[in-house]
Amino acid sequence: MRISRAIAIAVAALVVAGAGPAAAAAAAAAADSIDPDADFKAFRDYYTKRFPDVPLNDFVNGPYSMDAELRKQWEAIDDFPPYDFAIDRGKQMFATPFKNGKTYGDCFPEKGIGIRQNYPYFDDKSGEVITLELALNRCREANGEAPYSYVKDEMASLTAYMAFTSRGKPFDIKIPNDPRALEAYQKGAEYFYARRGQLNFSCASCHVQNPGNHIRTEVLAPALGIVAAMPIYRSEWNGMGTMSRRLVTCNSQVRGVPLEPQDELYRDVEYYLTYMSNGLPVSGPGARP
Amino acid sequence: MRGGRRTAHGTALFVAPVLAAVAFAGAASAQAPALPGQALAFDRSKGNCLTCHDIKGGDAPGNVGPPLADMKSRFPDRKELTAIVFDETKRNPQTVMPPFGRNLILTDGEIEAIVDFLYTR
Amino acid sequence: MRTYLFAAAMCLLTGAAQAASTEADFKTALAAAEAAEQDAGALKNQWIPTEQALAAAKKAAAAGDFDAAVAQARQAEALAKASIAQAKEQQTAWKAGVIR
Repeated sequence: MRISRAIAIAVAALVVAGAGPAAAAAAAAAADSIDPDADFKAFRDYYTKRFPDVPLNDFVNGPYSMDAELRKQWEAIDDFPPYDFAIDRGKQMFATPFKNGKTYGDCFPEKGIGIRQNYPYFDDKSGEVITLELALNRCREANGEAPYSYVKDEMASLTAYMAFTSRGKPFDIKIPNDPRALEAYQKGAEYFYARRGQLNFSCASCHVQNPGNHIRTEVLAPALGIVAAMPIYRSEWNGMGTMSRRLVTCNSQVRGVPLEPQDELYRDVEYYLTYMSNGLPVSGPGARP
Repeated sequence: MRGGRRTAHGTALFVAPVLAAVAFAGAASAQAPALPGQALAFDRSKGNCLTCHDIKGGDAPGNVGPPLADMKSRFPDRKELTAIVFDETKRNPQTVMPPFGRNLILTDGEIEAIVDFLYTR
Repeated sequence: MRTYLFAAAMCLLTGAAQAASTEADFKTALAAAEAAEQDAGALKNQWIPTEQALAAAKKAAAAGDFDAAVAQARQAEALAKASIAQAKEQQTAWKAGVIR
């Protein structure tokens, strides 16, 4: 259980420090230890208290969970979801073998079907966070194929299809009791809350402090559930957007030079945010204004 | 006497058009072209104030920040309003308002112009 | 800082306080700006306006306008330094915004 991990770290620190004054100092240091479970609970309570009328699972609908008018517009297009073409294309791509005869399914558990809710995960062999997009390109490269751009339509189609096969399944992100995983999680939290760009915004500026408010006419989404509908068809983009594309765009919008797609920090923040959405249903691919 | 009256009339004849011109100018300034600060405030690449603030004269404002109205009575001290635009994090470390001065988004001159404009709202 | 930059830029442009900038002046200013931007890159916190000012500085220099090129390079350095200050401050300040 995760809560006992924080206690385990504290106990370990006490044991190492020995009894007496050193133990008190160690306890204080341990209080600074990374506690994803406590963070998770605080995060969840913040949004459910701030928006008591929003059913928990509805947070995955982002701005539509915040604004009734916007929701009506969204429901009006739901009969002909704009991402359907991406699912169809992704399904076809997924089934098409590589030049060497292998398929995407050979790289993934369950042949890649119905597994999206487990990403990102911490890979203890390589000591890094693996996102779905990264895993797909590594699969391609391992099978002699050139990687796809993380911000373009091929990656969006593949992830749209894989998300679709997991629709409705609760996110189930694991943070193992491994200092490297905890550090990656913490770096993700730091990335999320740190101000950046000439405009001095953090992700939290909009998505923690101002969910439901609007900048010009755009309604801001809550951070809870914000990755659940990825990849999204964005009307503003007239096309699909991957997780990578969204992070790059957000950086530019605050006048920060974006990192390379799938940079370690981008994967860490995706890890953090998806963990915070644990239990909420995969709802991708999604549509946004 | 006559001269005096003529002088008085003369003065009136001189003054009247001047008064009229002043009155005309006064009336015209009510519909005068926007202050340079308004253009800066509404420009997305400059102040971009409407993104977060409702300001009279602007369309489709956001509501992240409070409406900017009644500015003369709310900010009698110009230095205070200027400081807010320059760097609101000094007053409120958790603010989402960009520090337009500290982060070199706007020049001192541009901030002055925007503050001038805000005092007309 | 910005008042200094403005005054320096005006001196450069009007030639009042010193002679017009030379290519050597530009190279010095550019080196300082690029070094600062590299430091910002190491902190993964570069700003788009910094990159724009660097590009503008190089473009002006290529056109032989070293006054403008130096002014842009100095602006780029100021922006890069501001982005470094932001990253360093945020290394601890980020915690203040965490949901508890």
